[in-house]
Parts: sequence; structure tokens; C-alpha cells
Amino acid sequence: MSVIVTLEKKPLIKFDVQKCAFCKICELSCSKYHYGRYADALARMTVVRKSPLMLRCHICTRCEKRFCIAACPKNALSYRGGNIVVDEKLCDSCGICVKACPFHGIRLHPETKMPLICDLCDGDPSCIKACPKSALSLVLLPEVRK
Amino acid sequence: MMVKYSGYKGKILRVNLTNKKTTTLDFADEFAKKYLGGNGFAARYIWDMVDPRMAAYDPTNVVAMMTGPFQGINIPTAGKYYMATKSPLTNGYFDSVSGGYIGAQIKYAGYDGLLITGKAEKPTYIFIEDAKVEFRPAEKMWGKLTGETQEMIKEEIGDPNLCVSAIGPAGENLVRYACVITEYRAAGRGGVGAVMGSKNLKAVAVRGSGSNQVADPAKFEEWLDWYSVEAKKIPSLVAGLPIYGTPVLVASINNMFGAMGTRNHQTEVFEGWEGISGETLLHAIWSKDTACPACPIACSKVFTVKEGKWKGAISEGPEYETIYAFGSMCGISDSGALIKTDSLCDEWGIDTITYGVTLSFLMECYQKGLINKDNTDGAEFKFGNDDVLVGFVEKTAKRQGIGNLMAEGSLRASKVIGSDSERFAIQVKGLEIPGHSARALRGMALGYATATRGGSHHDPRPTGEYAGVSDRKAVEGKAAWVIGTQQMTTIGDSLVQCHFLERLLGFTLTQKFVDMINPVTGFGYNLQELVDVAERILDLERSFNVMAGIRRKNDTLPKRFLEEPIPDGPSKGMNTDEATLSRMLDEFYGIKGWDKTTGIPTKDKLVKMGLEDIALVLEKL
Repeated sequence: MSVIVTLEKKPLIKFDVQKCAFCKICELSCSKYHYGRYADALARMTVVRKSPLMLRCHICTRCEKRFCIAACPKNALSYRGGNIVVDEKLCDSCGICVKACPFHGIRLHPETKMPLICDLCDGDPSCIKACPKSALSLVLLPEVRK
Repeated sequence: MMVKYSGYKGKILRVNLTNKKTTTLDFADEFAKKYLGGNGFAARYIWDMVDPRMAAYDPTNVVAMMTGPFQGINIPTAGKYYMATKSPLTNGYFDSVSGGYIGAQIKYAGYDGLLITGKAEKPTYIFIEDAKVEFRPAEKMWGKLTGETQEMIKEEIGDPNLCVSAIGPAGENLVRYACVITEYRAAGRGGVGAVMGSKNLKAVAVRGSGSNQVADPAKFEEWLDWYSVEAKKIPSLVAGLPIYGTPVLVASINNMFGAMGTRNHQTEVFEGWEGISGETLLHAIWSKDTACPACPIACSKVFTVKEGKWKGAISEGPEYETIYAFGSMCGISDSGALIKTDSLCDEWGIDTITYGVTLSFLMECYQKGLINKDNTDGAEFKFGNDDVLVGFVEKTAKRQGIGNLMAEGSLRASKVIGSDSERFAIQVKGLEIPGHSARALRGMALGYATATRGGSHHDPRPTGEYAGVSDRKAVEGKAAWVIGTQQMTTIGDSLVQCHFLERLLGFTLTQKFVDMINPVTGFGYNLQELVDVAERILDLERSFNVMAGIRRKNDTLPKRFLEEPIPDGPSKGMNTDEATLSRMLDEFYGIKGWDKTTGIPTKDKLVKMGLEDIALVLEKL
């Protein structure tokens, strides 16, 4: 599945709480795709289980308010091609974006301390391909213009 | 530190609760190849560190929490962790494997396992974050249920995703079969939780920022592709387990095989099976599939009781074994009561199989008039009384009233009750037998009798006999079959991978196991080397048990199984009598290279397995 991301549409990884079995294969496939190794600390998404039936998927939602971009004191974050992009030269790993994101969609790389934000794996998200329960899907929402 | 083989960190964290000191043990690369991981590592370290003759609650006993090479990578059915100790229930070497992300986290934190020894002065929990190890006070969690304890620790550390393995009040009160709970899954059997309780250790929490890699990524991808194609051809991996979970077994074991122990094995066909079958559970009360980490099968089911007496009860599980122990064994066909009791056992921290089988033993004592209402706190211990099943979980965990006797397990309870009740205590070496009949399956008879853990369905495996690969009635060749299945489970426990891939990889060790292990680790094993690893670990476990006093005379079955054939149903007339068992044992010891009169591994065998030091110790007996 390949998706051409245009500026008119906002991509969103949709999470189906009923289908998700909390196997976390999505997290492992994410770190494998980006870093070639398996580690949940390197994953750009996290699934959290609060009770037998309540699951949450923490991932960048490309929200309209872009809290992270507004919060970054170094202007290191920008929204380009449907993704939040980090300018690693400007970023000083202060972690303010991590706290600013109400969706818990950002964490810092444990070694480089750079923000890890979902980049849709160049338009073909590995988590969606890996999910054995088809709990994840990519949808394109119309972008709200201001 | 550089490690030659992938899947390992080369490091074990040793924690002493008495003086709050931690040390790391580095192991040589060849140690990994010799012992593989999980089961092998723990068996070796426990042999090295624990005197098998001392009591299980002695502070010098060790709780091992181990991983294998597969934790933290996306290999199916390996999202688990492995716990081992000297058991307060069997007094021998004991291990219990549970699903849970904590195994991967131990790996990510940079360790292959933890060895916890000593005894904390006050209730404590351990928090491990990479190289940092903290001993934190757990006084406010003491007495709390497992779910609440995990939540409190997550809150205290401030991480909703933290992996916590905790004991419940049963572990604190030294219930001999207290379990360890991670999320909603249990390292259930043998009382690992009680040993943690004896150490004043409420929980272990681990968070790691590292990663795990495979030796040959291209070959590994190839294996995953092979898996995804081949697994689709196995009915239990595409339909049975993903849709129904293990409860799917109820209908076939009860109706086709007549092998589902009922009312403390007075018969093995349960007339009320329909109320507790996988089909009923799925259609009436299923609410969600869940999985162990990194496992695409998702055999775990969450059930919510929607009507009746136990409305509102919710639990992940029960699995087949629990359905057998609570349902057919106690004569209860209301699935609601099973769900309720299952969730209570998880919360209080009790092994469901031993709890159910011990209760059914007491129910038979009540039926026979060996105990009465004066002994049972006024409750009617009648088969089918679900109030007793639900109500006595808490009493057992708190050791109140007859709960104090139930907390000892069926063997010790039978010694208190007397009147030859031991003959119908359904246990081997003190461990209650799960729901795979030792009478209807010849392999399980020999398997339970010789298993390191006693009555455990994860030492020998029943699946090959259900599938008809080995004739369940045959005596000839059964010893070799049982040895094969025990080798397979030992390798599975060392990889810390569950045995549900057996229909795909083989009921005994095959080249398919080798093809799965080599790309990950880079060992370059051949099949014979892998079989030797399994034999080495099994001999180590046996040697530990020998030092703890276990001999051939302990390799037996409950008298009921030896003397009373199954009275009715499809397996009517079947059992393995004393003489047949003895004949199979001779053959078993012969193939194993164990002494036929004592059951002790011979010097030749141990030397051949590279266990010269152990041969020297056993020689002095």
C-alpha cells in the first residue's frame, strides 16, 4: 500500500481499540524500520493498557493545533508533507515538545536525545503492515484551513 | 561488553535483598551456547547458588527471572519471561513461564536475567532502569491486590507503560502456590510468588532503553516469511487459538477423548461441559482478544459476564486448565463463576490449577465424610457449589479458617486429613495435575511421573497424543516419545517461547527448531547439539531434585490413577497401572542414562553432557 501524501489531506493512523490485542508488534516493527533493531524505547508509537478492555495508542495525530511546533523554543519543528519534521541542527533536546504534546506522541531517542515523531515510514507505515489484528489503518482527513 | 552471539547481553544482574547490594555476573559466550537461556541459565545458576536441601523459604533461596535470546524481538510466541526457584510446593527445582513485556524490558535494560537472593528487612520492591537498581519501600503496597499494586508502582515511577511483576496477598502469606502476576498474566505454578513473599519482595519493575538484535537479519526475515506462510496451514494457529483461545479444548477433550477430569477424577466426562466450553464462552461473554507481546496469535481472551449471579465479573482468561480445575473438577458448569474466580485468583495472587484441584480434593473428602461443616467454616463443600469456589479464594490467600489448609495444596492437606485420602489427591511430587488426563494419555502418565516439576503439562506435552502422532494407548516406544516432548519443552522454556508452535515446529525437537534459533543467535547448532542442550538442562534439573531427596520412588502417580481405570466415556477402562508404569520407567531411565534402581543420572551421562562438576557431587551421595 503506497499513499501519496498531499498538503490538502491530513494523514492519521487510526487505532481500533476493539481489534488491538496489545501485542505491541507495531512498536517493534517501528523501531526495526527506522533503526534496524528491536526496542520499544526507539518506537515512535506506544500502546498502553489501562484495564482489561481499555487501550490507548500514543502516536502523533498531526493535530491542527501543532502544540509541539508552538512550544519549541528553538523553532526546530515544522510541519512538512504531512509530518512533523525535526531540524536536528536546531534541536537542543530540551524535551519541551514531549511535554507539550497532549497525545503523548513524542519521546526522546534514548541515545541521541532527538525527538522521535511518527513519519509514516515514507508513506507506507510499517506498523500498519505488521499489525496481525488489522487494528491500525491510515486515513486521510481534509485539512482544516485557517 | 561485546557478546559474540546475538540475542544475549552477556550479563546477569544479581540482587541481594539482605544487604541491598547488586552485582553483575558476566558469562562467557560459550555458556550461552551450552545452556541457551531461560531454563538453562536458571537451572545452572540455581544449582550453583542454592543448596537443594534447605527449605524453600530460606533467605539463601534464589528467585531467578530470566530471558532467552528471543525476548524483545518480533518472533511469535516469545513475549514471555521465565521464573525459577526451589519450590515450596514440590521442594524441587521449579520454573514457571508467563506472558509479559517484562522479559523484553529486562533485555532492553541490558541483562539476560535477574537472580534475586536474600531477604529484605521490610517490604520492598525493586525498580531497575538500565544500570540503575533501586530498592524501594513497598509497605503501602503490602496487602494490596496485584492489579492495584501494579498501578501504585506505575504511578510512583510516573510511567503508565512500566512493566511490573507483582505478588498478591497470597504470596505475602506464603500460600504454597502463590503466583506472580504481570499485567493480567501469571507465572502461576509452584509458588514462585510465595518465595518472593518470603523475601519481603512485593514486586519487580523493569524499564530498559536498549534494544535486541538478531545475528542474521536476512535469514531471520526469511524465517518470518516462512512462518507466516506455514502457520496459516495449521488449524489451531489460524482458527482454534486466535478465535476461541485455549477453552476450545473443552469440547474435544471432554467429548472425543473423555479425558477431562471431573469431580476430582471420579470420572473423566463432564456432563455440564456445554456451559464452560470455548464455543459458549465465545458466543456468550467474549469481549476482546489480547496477546502476549510480539505474538500474532492473540490466544488470550477477555470475558465479561453479562447476566446471572456473577454479572459484571471480568477477567482475562480463564484458560483451558483453569476451566478444568474450577469447572469439571469442582462440578461447576456456570461459566460466570469461573470468570469471577479466575479474576479473584489473579488479584489475590493464587495459581488457579492448584486452587481448583485442591478444592475438588476437599470436596471429595466432604462427600466421603472425612471432613464436615465443622471443618469447613460452615460452608457446604459440595461438588457444584460455586459459592465455595468463589468465596474461598480470599480465605485461602489470607490463610483464614480452612483456607489455611487449602493454602498448603492437596498433598499436604491429605496428610492432615488422613484416612488414606492421599490416594485421591490428584498431584505428582506435590504439584496438582492439570487437565490432560494421565489415564487417557499414556504419554502423560509417564510424563507427569518423571517431570522435574511433577504434575505439569509443560514438561511433557499432550498435544502429540491428541493429534494422534503418538498412539495414546501404546506402551511400546512411549518412553522415547516422552523424552522427546520433554526435550522440546525444555528448549522452549530456554528460549522462553510458548509451546503453541509445536504443531508447526514439531512435538519433539526437529530441524525446524534449529532453523529458527540459528538466524537469531548465530550459534550454528545442528540438531544433535540442540538435543544435547535439552538433555544437559534436564539432567541438571534432575540432579538438583536428587540432591533435594527425589528418587525413583517419587516418580509415580496418584494411587487413584494407578488403580482405578476411567469408569465411563470414550476412554472407559483406560489407566496405567503400577506394573506398566514401572516397565515404562525402566525404559525411560535406560534411554536417559539414569540409574534404573534409584533414578539418579549416571556419572557417564553427566560427563557426556559436560556436567563433570555435578557428577562429582552426586558421586558422594
